[in-house]
Parts: sequence; C-alpha cells; structure tokens
Amino acid sequence: MIKYFYIVFLVVSIGAVTAQETALSKAEIVAFKENVKVVSTKTKTIESSFTQYKHLEFLSDDIKTLGKMMYKSPNLVKWTYTDPFKYSVIFKKDKILINNEGKKSDVNIGSSELFKKLNQLIVNSISGNMFNNNEFEISYHKTDGYYRVNFLFKDKDINTYIKQFVLKFNKKNYRVFEVKMIEPSDDYTQIIFDDQKVNQPIKDEVFTN
Amino acid sequence: MRFLLIKALIIASLTSCTLSTTKHLTAITPDVINYHNGYFSDLEKDYIYKANIEAYGHHFGGLMIIKKIKNNHHRVVFTTEFGSKMLDIELIDHNFKTNFIVDELNKKMILNTLKNDFRLILQEVHNVEKMYKNKNFIVYQSKTDKRYNFFFVNDCSRQLDSIVHASKTKEKVMVSFKNVEGQLAKELSIEHKNIKLTIDLKYVGKADKTLP
Repeated sequence: MIKYFYIVFLVVSIGAVTAQETALSKAEIVAFKENVKVVSTKTKTIESSFTQYKHLEFLSDDIKTLGKMMYKSPNLVKWTYTDPFKYSVIFKKDKILINNEGKKSDVNIGSSELFKKLNQLIVNSISGNMFNNNEFEISYHKTDGYYRVNFLFKDKDINTYIKQFVLKFNKKNYRVFEVKMIEPSDDYTQIIFDDQKVNQPIKDEVFTN
Repeated sequence: MRFLLIKALIIASLTSCTLSTTKHLTAITPDVINYHNGYFSDLEKDYIYKANIEAYGHHFGGLMIIKKIKNNHHRVVFTTEFGSKMLDIELIDHNFKTNFIVDELNKKMILNTLKNDFRLILQEVHNVEKMYKNKNFIVYQSKTDKRYNFFFVNDCSRQLDSIVHASKTKEKVMVSFKNVEGQLAKELSIEHKNIKLTIDLKYVGKADKTLP
C-alpha cells in the first residue's frame, strides 16, 4: 500500500515538474531577445482575433469579450471589440480615437495616459524593443510551449493601477500570444491572441475614425 | 393691475413649490410597509452593463459591473472597455466602502453623486410612507434623509418602471428601467435634473462566439 502511494506521489511530482516554468539562463535571455528582435523587424503588419477575459474575484464568471487587433508598423494600433458590445479604439501618435457603438470621439476619461502606456508596451513587445526598458524589473521564464516575460512596474503611480504585465511568447515563432495585466488586488485582464495574420496589407484608412 | 401682478406671482411661486412628480396622482392609503426593488437582488447573477456617460458635454464609456455579495451588500466596479478599473466600491447597509478609485474620479462631488445613484438603484427594501395611483401606475413614496423616492410600478405588469428622487419641491434624479425581462432590467437610464449628467446602462450578455 505504501509502495502504491510512493508511485502515485512520484507520478504526480514528475507531472508537476514538467508543467512548471523555469527561469531562463543569461545566455537563454540573450538568445530569446535576439530572436524576438529578428521576428519583429520583419513584422510590418499584424491582424489578429483576440479574446479578452476580465477577472474580478467576486464575480461568478470572468467577463469575456471578443475582438480584433490590427497593428501597422511603426506605431498604429486598432483594437476593435465586436462581441458582446461594439467598441473600437485607435492609438495614433498622441491621439486616442474612440468609436463607442457609433459615437465617435477623441477624448477619454483621464486615465488615457495609462492607455497610452499600455499600448506603447504592446507596440514595443511587437517591435521587440522593450527588454531594455528602465521602467520595469523584468524576469524571463520558459515552459515546453512558451516563454513568459514578467514586467514589474517600478513607477509608483502606475503601480496603483497595474502591478504587473505578463507577456507570453510562442516558442516556435517568438510572437506574443497572450497579454495579462495584473492589478494590485490580483484582479486581472487577460488578452489571448488567436489566428494571427502577419504582413498582410492593411490600409492606413483602417486607423481613422 | 398691481393686484393682478401680485396674484400672478403668488400663484407662480405656489405652483413652482409643488412637486411635479405627484401632480397627476391620486393619494391612496398605503397597503404595504415596504417596497422591494428586486432588479439587483440575485446573488447568483453577475450584472454586467455597458455604460455610456454624458457629463457636461463629455462622453465616455466603460463597463459597470454590479454584484450582490449578500443581503444588504452590493459591490460596484466601473472599468474601461480595456478592463482597467476606474472605481470599485461596496454598498453595505447604507454605507459605502471605497476599495479603489482613480484620481480623476476621486472628487467629493463626483463620488457622492455616484454613490447616491447606486444607492437609489441597488437598495432593495424601502419604507413606504405614502402611496399614489393613476391610470397606469401604483406609486410608492419613501423618505431618505431630506429627500423622497417615488417608485413607479406598472399596474399591469407589476414591474418597476422608474424611480424619481426628489426634494420637497424639485425632482433631482430620474431612473428609468426599460427592456425588463423578469427581474432583469436590460436597460437603465439615470438622468440628473440639477446637473448635466446622464448615465445609460445597457445589459451585456455573454459573448456567444467562441474562437476555434
């Protein structure tokens, strides 16, 4: 009987070890950064579906929203939420253009600075030049399927909104497939990209309201 | 002539002092002690609304998330569409606890206005002081501090149609519930009469398409 328990314990432990993430070595970090950079310099456009989950600990279910993200080098990004509501936001230079169920505006409630910062992070992660950023304390991890990079904000003002930013990179193509923004309360927003189309032509008009 | 003018002024001032809410209503003897607003009373339900707010010519939106935690305890979170939290407050009995608020909203007037609005729609049990009726509605009047709440209940459907929050002489806030399904109001409009603020809430169902 005891022997049986040992076997079960061993199997469970091995399972846990294989699923665990491990920290990247210094050499691995250098190689990872280089690979992301090579891929991102070749990336001119990205069109991707996404699913967003808003997790609030007191809710029965996460709030699930579907949409599409479009990126055009060097810094045009459009997020379009399609289901269960329609809303789009375009980050264009210093402007944020919003289309809220047909109502168009280029203003938003004060935290637009935060939006800009978040968008900048995403743009940087796509363009691969965020790893030398002094704003964060960065840590690198890997599993069998992906790399996980954690960005801890040093800025105390941002820290009141977001504690940590987590990006997951596909191990095969070095592209971001998941973005997670964790709040100080541990509630989070998770965006999972799917069906990414890279370097398909996207007209500039897409980024107008 | 002077007499006529004085008379007109007296009539005008008397009319303006009368609350318009009860103008075309007939007072009846209350037959209940409390009125129960059940729109946010389901403990199992996550009430997620798309919010559109018009404040002094500015338009902004987000998600209004409401959850009944237990009896006399609701939590309200307002986030941007991106998911960034703007406000996180709890209504426990009659008191509010602020868990989080962005600096832009952390102004006494804004916060108090929002708290009063949330109290108006979330508080379930209201003492009935007076009752009225007209052709379509039964109206329950309750008192809160120096203000009054009037609950307009459709006489046929028994559904709460609107709430008027008023002082002795003036209507201050009007809440309309539309597109009601059972105990769920799929659309709400909170319209302020004394300040330029309107909050429209539209119920957000679940995203029904799943990615492959």
